[in-house]
Amino acid sequence: MPNATLVSKSPLHKYWVILSTRTQEDMTYRFNYVFGAIFRFLPLVTMIFLWYAVYMGRNMAPINGMTFKDMIVYNALMYIARGFSSVPGTMSDISKDIKDGLLNRYLIKPMDYFGYQVMYRLAHKLVFWYIALLTFPFVFWFMSASGHYFTHWPTLWEALAFVVSLVIAFCIGIQFCFMIGCLAFWFLEISTFLFVVMMLEFFMSGQLIPLNILPQSLHHFLFYSPFSYEGYWPCMILMGKVPQDQLLPVLGRGVLWIGAFYGAVQLMWRMGLKRYSAVGG
Amino acid sequence: MADIGKYLKLTGLMMKNCLVREMQFKANFLVRLFTESMWLVMQFIYISVMYGQTGQIAGWTIWEMVVLAGTNHVIAQLFEALFYDNCMRLIDQIRQGDLDFNLIKPVNTQFLVSLRYTDYASIVNSSIGVGIILFALGKLGIGITFGGVVLFAALVANSILIYYSILFILSVWTFWIGRSNNLMELYWQFGQFSRYPGEIYPWLLRRLLQTLIPMLIVSNVPAGLLIHKLQTGLIFYGFALGIVFLVLTAWIWQRGLQRYRSASS
Repeated sequence: MPNATLVSKSPLHKYWVILSTRTQEDMTYRFNYVFGAIFRFLPLVTMIFLWYAVYMGRNMAPINGMTFKDMIVYNALMYIARGFSSVPGTMSDISKDIKDGLLNRYLIKPMDYFGYQVMYRLAHKLVFWYIALLTFPFVFWFMSASGHYFTHWPTLWEALAFVVSLVIAFCIGIQFCFMIGCLAFWFLEISTFLFVVMMLEFFMSGQLIPLNILPQSLHHFLFYSPFSYEGYWPCMILMGKVPQDQLLPVLGRGVLWIGAFYGAVQLMWRMGLKRYSAVGG
Repeated sequence: MADIGKYLKLTGLMMKNCLVREMQFKANFLVRLFTESMWLVMQFIYISVMYGQTGQIAGWTIWEMVVLAGTNHVIAQLFEALFYDNCMRLIDQIRQGDLDFNLIKPVNTQFLVSLRYTDYASIVNSSIGVGIILFALGKLGIGITFGGVVLFAALVANSILIYYSILFILSVWTFWIGRSNNLMELYWQFGQFSRYPGEIYPWLLRRLLQTLIPMLIVSNVPAGLLIHKLQTGLIFYGFALGIVFLVLTAWIWQRGLQRYRSASS
């Protein structure tokens, strides 16, 4: 059926093609991922012993409700959350497309640039999770068998909220990258700025330290920031640290942030295109 | 003896050549200084949050931990200044057959590929580490002696060589497996182990990090010297380990070269 591919089945079909092509491309380098998937857990080893030493210093007393085991589980779950919210290379790729005039080749195609980017990154995530499903369970099983770290079995609501929170994490993570990438319409050199932004994201998402053990004045503010959805909330929800009546408000705020980011991206894109000079012709 | 003179002169020329190139992008220094400082700030936030919960971590006080962080920063930055880029380039050279240009030159090829490029911004950055060490030592009320400084400098140099040996061996694997960019990730992951006191690790892991993957020797020994938290034996052991690792690089390099297939043509 040579014509089958030419006949567009639905307007969304093209995005499906992008997704499957990109997935195949990434799968070519799957050993790349396997290698990364195993060694990315090395920092967790240091983390376990370091926090153990800290807790030993205080006779294992919990820190703001976080026991030693909580702290380790939090750091382990962070790998899952970041597996959804981090989309490496997106900011720099978009700013490069804009700066070097590479955007031209997307603008003339009958598709949405961000739609394309979402599919491209989604493919990357699919391959990541294909590999992760082989390695993550092993790590979690090992943690459970060696130290019985997982003390809380999530309820059905928590499990559901966790899944939703991961979707929110992806939506916020990728749209934030779009926003920062779009700054390239106005500024020529933003790599230093990108670095600072990524550092702040690292801190404000709770990757460095769980937000709830920071000084109170700080964490009340950080709880409401969009970045907390990129790491902190998914972890805390699955750990049962968010009371059931708080699940909906927390997720609701996340959805509001997605809406706000979506609006901001669209606005920046329209304003940016007016300034776009399409260098390189 | 004439050889040593020749190699020193060559090193000087290569470093001068890089400095000339670097000076064309002076703002780059400031940018790098800024970004590396951000990293340090993050580390200090982490340290201060941990010490907010307990007075001591595995017997180390906060300022002792800061000395360790500063020492680690100096070593990592100097290593990156001298060797990191070169090891990265080496991987591509082996894979793409560009090593030919270096092989035909009348000097030791390992020397040439290892020291060809110098990253001056990292050298500037290492000075922040020195400042941090001095500040923390002041807080601890520990003075420094001339002999102590010399020994510390020698240990730092030794640590840089150990770092270099590990990364160089990882790069040279390219001769066997064709592509080892991912192995380079290991350097960053191993680096984690050097940031904290060896005392936090259980016996077996600690021994592993003192022998096969000596990340604890690299950071803990020089820092331990400064804060008088070190068994003298470890100093000798550290130097011996440095020599063993360096000899190992030369051996593996020779083995690898035998597998080199040159350009793809």
